[in-house]
Amino acid sequence: MKSSILRAGVVALACALGLSACGGGSGDLYLAGAVVNVTADGLVLQNNGGDDTAVVAPYTSFQFGNRVSTDDQFNITVRKIPDNADSCVVNNGKARANYYTIGQISVTCTIKQHALTVNIVGLTTSGLVIINGADRHDVSAGTDPAGTQTVPMASVSEGAAYGVTVLQQPTGQTCTVKDSGNDKGTGIMGKTDTTVTISCAS
Amino acid sequence: MKFSLARPALALAITLTLASCGGGGKATFPINVTVSGLQYPGLVLSTNGQDLTINPPATNPPATAGAVVTAVFPNPLEYGQTYEVTPKDATVANHTYLGGSQPKHQSCAPTLFPAYGTAGQLAKIDIRYACAILSYPLTGTVNGLKGTGLVLANGSTAGTIGVNPALDTNNTPTGAAVTFAMNPVPYNTTYGVTVLTQPTKPDQTCTVTGGANGTGGGTMDDAAENNKDQGVNNLVVTCQ
Repeated sequence: MKSSILRAGVVALACALGLSACGGGSGDLYLAGAVVNVTADGLVLQNNGGDDTAVVAPYTSFQFGNRVSTDDQFNITVRKIPDNADSCVVNNGKARANYYTIGQISVTCTIKQHALTVNIVGLTTSGLVIINGADRHDVSAGTDPAGTQTVPMASVSEGAAYGVTVLQQPTGQTCTVKDSGNDKGTGIMGKTDTTVTISCAS
Repeated sequence: MKFSLARPALALAITLTLASCGGGGKATFPINVTVSGLQYPGLVLSTNGQDLTINPPATNPPATAGAVVTAVFPNPLEYGQTYEVTPKDATVANHTYLGGSQPKHQSCAPTLFPAYGTAGQLAKIDIRYACAILSYPLTGTVNGLKGTGLVLANGSTAGTIGVNPALDTNNTPTGAAVTFAMNPVPYNTTYGVTVLTQPTKPDQTCTVTGGANGTGGGTMDDAAENNKDQGVNNLVVTCQ
């Protein structure tokens, strides 16, 4: 009689411990989602204030180390953002876990943008077209007699490439993109604004 | 006797009421169409022997991307008639449509909801087509490449690609020509390919030529679209 009570007690205790272990991170649902607009290391996510998970290359998804069980509350927050991001937002990051809710989670970051400016020197005619890939700007001689003017291109994400080229030469002049030292038409957008120089001569 | 007269009168009244209910004309179902992103003319949709030409909004070509056009097929359907709205003369296989009367430079498809069904299934038939600008390949050849680390860029939004040298059986770079493909470029969009990173080991300097302007730049225009291989494939990167 005694032994059977004891046995039942031990089994119950073991069960209880087993169940609590379940809730603590070894459930059957993976907490994961898509990552949008991340291009560098540094994004760290948390669930319920713990289980830190770093998002690594190719920066398209995340998955927490600890699994969750159905009906567990999860609350995903951003602990750190990449250096080149302005902010990162978790979408559908707080819910009770089930097959639907765990499939709806995503994290979207906004990458810092920096100005790309082209300084043009010596342009005295019309017809010049400068591009940075798909970003096209038609430029005509301005009011400055020396033919100097600045053209603001579309801003560029930090860490993204840029490559300013002359798509079309102006009438009677030849323009070249300066390519020496730190003043190059092609490069990677750093942490500050970038200026590219184009010189035109007849 | 009075009652027996009243009863047929009542029956007649009920019959008339019912007749006015059901007999007032069968319910019909107009086939409404909503097309988004249409910028160029040429789209003709077809179902149940009817054709419907969809033109982009009046401000074009090209209209602002994302503008929405609505239209209705001339003849509505009756309850129970099936429909499947496809581009006219498209090849239909398992409710996916290939070819047919698509707009110029674009491809339209019912990406959100099915474009087929039975009249009466839904309270209202509203077919949704979404159109996207077509993209074409931007490719070329790298000559004389022996070093590693060459990276080519096409501005800031079209991505970068790395090119590795050709190797012989001993894994020694031969400098033989290697082909490369940048990300496809949408119609009417400019491209300008530049060398983002020059190769090293050995150090080399690579320059880009070709494209429409001879220096690796151009516009994905009609000439490029109608080229027999479609797109721009004459880029040349020369490494020395």
